[in-house]
Amino acid sequence: MRSSAAFREKGSRVIRVTGVSKSFPGVRALVDVSFEVRSGEVHALLGENGSGKSTLTKIIGGLHQPDEGEIVFDGRPVRWKRPRDAQESGIHVIYQELVMFQDMTVAENVFISNQPTTKFGLVDYKTMEARAAEALRQLGSDVDVRRMVKTLSVAEQQMVEIAKALVGTVKALILDEPTAVIAGREVEFLFNRIRMLSERGVAIVYISHRLEEIFEIADRVTVLKDGRLVGTRDIGDVDRDRLVSMMVGRDLSEYFPPRRPLREDSPIVLEASNISVGDRVKDASLVLRKSEIVGLAGMVGSGRTEFAMAIFGGIPMSSGSVTVGGKTYDRMSSALSIRSGVGLLTENRKSEGLMTQMDIAANICAASLGEITGGLFLDARRELGIAREEMNVFRVAAPGPQTRVIGLSGGNQQKVLFARWVHACKEVLLLDEPTRGVDVGAKAEIYRLIRRLADEGLAILMISSELLEVIGMSDRTLVMRDGRIRGELRGDEINEQSIMALATHR
Amino acid sequence: MIGYFRRNPALLGVLSLIVLLTVIGCLFSKDFRSVQNFQNVFEQSAPLAFTALGQTVVIITRGIDLSIDAQIALLSSLASGIVDSDAQRAIPVVLGVLALGVIIGLITGGLIVALRIHALIVTLGMAAILQGLALLYTLTPVGGIPDGYDFFGYGRVLGVPVGMALAVVLFAIVGFVLTYTRLGRQIYAFGGDPRAATMAGLPTTRVILFTYCLMGLLTAVTAVFLVSRLGVGNPLADGGFNLGSITAVVIGGTMLTGGRGSVLGTLLGVFMVQLLNNLLNFLDVSTFYQWMIQGAIVIVAVSLYVERRRARA
Amino acid sequence: MNTTPFLADRSRDQIDVVAVIERYGLLAFCAVLVLLTAAVSPAFRSSTNLQNVLTNVAPLAIIVLGQSMVILVRGFDLSVSSVMATAAVIATQFEGAGGLAFPLTLLVTLVMSLIVGLANGFLVTKRDMSPFLATLATMIVLQGLRFAWTRGAPSGRVPPELQLIGAGQFFGVPVNLLVLAVLTLIVWVALAKTPFGRRVYMVGGGPRAAELVGVNVDRTVIACYVASAVLAGIGGLVLVGYVSGVDNWVGRGYELDSIVAAVMGGVALSGGRGSVLGGILGAFLLTVIFNIVLLLGFPVQLQFVVKGLIIILAMAVYRLGGGAAG
Repeated sequence: MRSSAAFREKGSRVIRVTGVSKSFPGVRALVDVSFEVRSGEVHALLGENGSGKSTLTKIIGGLHQPDEGEIVFDGRPVRWKRPRDAQESGIHVIYQELVMFQDMTVAENVFISNQPTTKFGLVDYKTMEARAAEALRQLGSDVDVRRMVKTLSVAEQQMVEIAKALVGTVKALILDEPTAVIAGREVEFLFNRIRMLSERGVAIVYISHRLEEIFEIADRVTVLKDGRLVGTRDIGDVDRDRLVSMMVGRDLSEYFPPRRPLREDSPIVLEASNISVGDRVKDASLVLRKSEIVGLAGMVGSGRTEFAMAIFGGIPMSSGSVTVGGKTYDRMSSALSIRSGVGLLTENRKSEGLMTQMDIAANICAASLGEITGGLFLDARRELGIAREEMNVFRVAAPGPQTRVIGLSGGNQQKVLFARWVHACKEVLLLDEPTRGVDVGAKAEIYRLIRRLADEGLAILMISSELLEVIGMSDRTLVMRDGRIRGELRGDEINEQSIMALATHR
Repeated sequence: MIGYFRRNPALLGVLSLIVLLTVIGCLFSKDFRSVQNFQNVFEQSAPLAFTALGQTVVIITRGIDLSIDAQIALLSSLASGIVDSDAQRAIPVVLGVLALGVIIGLITGGLIVALRIHALIVTLGMAAILQGLALLYTLTPVGGIPDGYDFFGYGRVLGVPVGMALAVVLFAIVGFVLTYTRLGRQIYAFGGDPRAATMAGLPTTRVILFTYCLMGLLTAVTAVFLVSRLGVGNPLADGGFNLGSITAVVIGGTMLTGGRGSVLGTLLGVFMVQLLNNLLNFLDVSTFYQWMIQGAIVIVAVSLYVERRRARA
Repeated sequence: MNTTPFLADRSRDQIDVVAVIERYGLLAFCAVLVLLTAAVSPAFRSSTNLQNVLTNVAPLAIIVLGQSMVILVRGFDLSVSSVMATAAVIATQFEGAGGLAFPLTLLVTLVMSLIVGLANGFLVTKRDMSPFLATLATMIVLQGLRFAWTRGAPSGRVPPELQLIGAGQFFGVPVNLLVLAVLTLIVWVALAKTPFGRRVYMVGGGPRAAELVGVNVDRTVIACYVASAVLAGIGGLVLVGYVSGVDNWVGRGYELDSIVAAVMGGVALSGGRGSVLGGILGAFLLTVIFNIVLLLGFPVQLQFVVKGLIIILAMAVYRLGGGAAG
C-alpha cells in the first residue's frame, strides 16, 4: 500500500475537471462531476457499471465533448474535438478495448499515430524499431518489435499500449479496467510499471471496480454513482466497507436479501458432467438444486460464459453431457433446453438477448411462440394478455406491452428478459451478469427478484464479475479459472480472499 | 527475400498457379505456346493492371469499387468524342479527363465519408449515374483520335509496350507509397480496424479521399489507354473491369476484409487473369463461360482466404 | 427506485416521429413528386398512360415481395434477374405440347426456383457465405446453364395462358395486377400474422438472439431465399407473358431495382424492419418515376442516373436517420 504522504509532496494539478455533464439519448451519463489528478499521483476512479466512469474517461480522452463544464489541462482550459488533440497534449488513454492493429508489427503499433520519418519524409523503420524496443525494455518486456501484434497475448498487447505513451511526452495516463483481461503475475507486473511511471511524475488515473486492487495501487480514490460524484478520499482515510457503501449508496445489509441456509436435500434439477468447449472450458461439472442460488465467479476469460452457453446449448460442447428432466444429452440445443425448462439470460442483452426492433410483448413471448399460436396464426390477444400479466409480476415500468423495448432503461430491459425466461422455463435459470448496465436502484430490485424466484422453486446459476454480488447472493459459489472449476465455497467460505485466491494464480 | 514469401504465402500460391497455367496452356494449345502470344498477353494486360492497382488500395481500406466500368464508359466516350480527331485538342482533353477521374473519385470518397455509407453501395449508385451520363452523351461510340496518337496504346519504349511500362512504374510508385510513407501505413491501419484508427487519431478522411481519388485517376488512365488502343470510346459499361480487377486483387492475396495485401500480389494476379482469359480463348471457350469462370474463381478465392468468423464463440 | 407497477395501458404505442420519418421519408418524398407531376402533366394523367404504368408494375413488384423477405433476414438476392430470365426461357420450351404447355411451364419453373432458392439458402447458412457472393454465384451458374442450353439465342413462343396473365385484362384491371394482389396478400399475412413471420422478424432483428430462444435460424433464412426464388420465377413468367418475347436479358436490372424499391419502402438493409407493403409501394413509385422520366421527354438513359441517385439518397436518409453501417 502506498504512503499517502509521499505523493502529496509532488503534484501540480495536471487534469482538472469541473462541473462536467454529459447526456446521451435517453440517459444522463454524467451530472456535474468534478475531479482532479496531480502529477505523480495514482488516482483511482471507482464506480459500479453505469456510474459514468467510462464516459468521464472518454471525455478526458477526447472521444466525447462535455455538454457542460470545463476541463483544464496543465493549467490551461482545453476543448478537445477528437482523440488526437488529447494525445498531442500529453494524455494517453488505454481503453479496455485495446487500440491495436493486428496485422501490423509491434513497432508500427507503438508509433501508429506518429511514425518517425527520415529526411525525405519517408517512414523510418529503423528508428521506429529501435525506439519501440527501448520503450518496451523499460517496461520490462522483451517482445520482438517485429512480431505481428496478433501473435501477442493480451498482457503483452497491454504493454505495447503503455509503450505508446512512453515514446511520446505523456503527462497523464488513464487505464480503463486494465485487469479485466489479465491475472496474477501479469497484474503485479502492471502495477510495478504503474508505480514506475508515477515516480516519473506521470499523473495516473486507474479505473476499476475491484476494491482490492485499488487499495494496493492508488493514492486517492474518487467514487462515482449514477453519473454523479459521491466523493474523493485519500486512500488511507477509507476502508472497504466505506467505499462499498459510497458506491451503492446505501448500507450493505439493505442491499442484498438475506442468504438462505444450504439445502443438501433439495432435488438436483440439472447436472452438467465433464463439459469441455474447445480450449475455453475444460472438463467442468456442476449440479444445480431446486431453490438454490449458485454463484459462478472467475476472471474475465475464465470460461464461465462459455460453460453456461454449453449447458444451455447456445454453443456446441466438444465433450460432456447435460442431464435435465431425467434425460441425459450429449448434444444440447437452445430449443431442447427451453423444452426441458432451462433458460439462459445472456451477458449481452443488446446483441444476444433482446429483440431490439420489437415491443415488450414480443420480447416476453419470444421463447413461448407455441403458446401464443392458435392454428396457423398468432393469437395477438393472448400475447398481449401474457405480456400484461408478466409486466405486472416483474414490475416493468412502461406505458404498455406494445412499447418498444429499445426505449426502456437497462433495469427494465433486464426485467423483460427475466419475464421471458421465467414464463417459458420453470426449472432452471442460468444468469450471465444479470445486473450489468443496470443502475443501483434497479439492481437491488433484481436481487430481490432472483431470491424470490429461487424461493419459488427455480434452480439458479448466477455468473458475475462483481464480487459484491457473488458474495451477497450465492448460497454456494463455484470459482473458475482457465476453463476449469477450481473450487466450491460454502457459507462463510464465500468471501473476497477465498474467491480471488481460487480465481487467480497467487 | 525468402522471409517476404514466408510472410505472404499467397504470393507463392499465385506464382505457382501462373506456372501451372503456362504449362497446361503450352501442352494443350499450339497458339498459346508462341513467344508472340506471351508478348501479346503482356501488352494487353495494361488496362486491367491500372484498374487492379486502384482496386488494390480500395480493397485494403475495406472498400470496393464497382463503378469502374461505368467510369471508363463515360471518360472514354468524352475523350474520343471531344477530341474528335483534332490533334490540337488531344493533350488538353487527356488532362481534362484525368482531372475528371480524380474529381469523380473525390465525390465517391466524399460520399463515403460524409454519409458513412459503405463503398459497395456508393459505387453502385455512382455506377448507375455515370452510365446514365455516358449514354446521355452518346449512345454509340463517337469521335476518334488523331493519327499518330495511338502511341500510348501501341507504342514501345525501349522494347517494352508503353502501357505496361507505365503500369509497372505506377505499381512501383504505389507500392512504395504504401510501404514507406505515413499515408500508406495509415491506409493499412484504417483497413485493418477503422474504429481503432479513429481512436488512434489517424486522419481517416484523408485516407479515404486519397484512396478513391487514386482509383479515379487510375480509371481515367485506363480510359485514355483504351481510347488510344481502340481509336474510340465505348459508352457501354461492359469492359468487365469491375469483376476483373477484383479477381486480380483477390487472387493476389489481398483479402476483402481489409488491412492487408500487396501490389506485387495484384500484379501477379493481373497476369494470371490475362493468361487464363487468353488460354480460354484459344480453347474456344465462349465469353459467357469465361465470365462464369472468373466469377467462380473470385468466389473460391474469397472462401478460401476469408477467415471464417467464429459463428458461436 | 421503481415501486410503481406499470402505468395505464395504451392500445397504441407512442409514435416515434424520427423513426417514422426515417423509415418512410423517402417514400413520402417520392409520392409528393408523383402527385406534383400528376397535377402538372396531362400526359401523365391520361388513362392510357396510367394503364400502361399499372401493367408495367407487376413483375417488379412480385420480385420485390421476395426480395423484401430476404432483406428482412439480413440478406439480399442478386440471383433474381437470372431466375426471371431462366423462367422466361422455360416458358418458351413447350411450344409443341399444346394444352400442357402452361402447366409444364409452371411445374418446371417451380422446380428450378426451388433448387436455386435452396442453393442460395444453403450457401448463406451452412457455408457461411455472404449473400453477395452466394447469390452472385448462383446467378452466374444459372446464367451459364441458360446460355449453354439456348446457345445464346433463345426463341420460341410463350403459352397463351401466360400471355393472358401477363398482358390481359379482367374487367379493365390488368390480370397481372390481380396476381400481384393475391401474392401480396399471402406474403403479407404470412409475415404479419403467423409464427413463421414472427420468426423472420426475429432472425432479422438479431439472429443470435433468435437462436437463443430456440428459433431454427437456418431454416427460416433458407425459407426466405426459397420464397424469393419462387417469386422471382413467377415474376419472370409474368414478365415474359407481358413482353411475349424472350431474349437472354429478360429481367436485367431487376435485382438492383428490387433492392432499391424495398429499401425505399422502408425495408432496412440491416434486417428485421419494414413491411412488404412498403416494398410494394416502393416498386410502384419506382416504376412511376421511370415513367415520368420518359414522359417528360428525357432520354431513357436518365433512368440510370435517377436510379443511382435514389440508391445514394435512400442510403443517406437511412444513415442520417441513425441506421447501422451497411
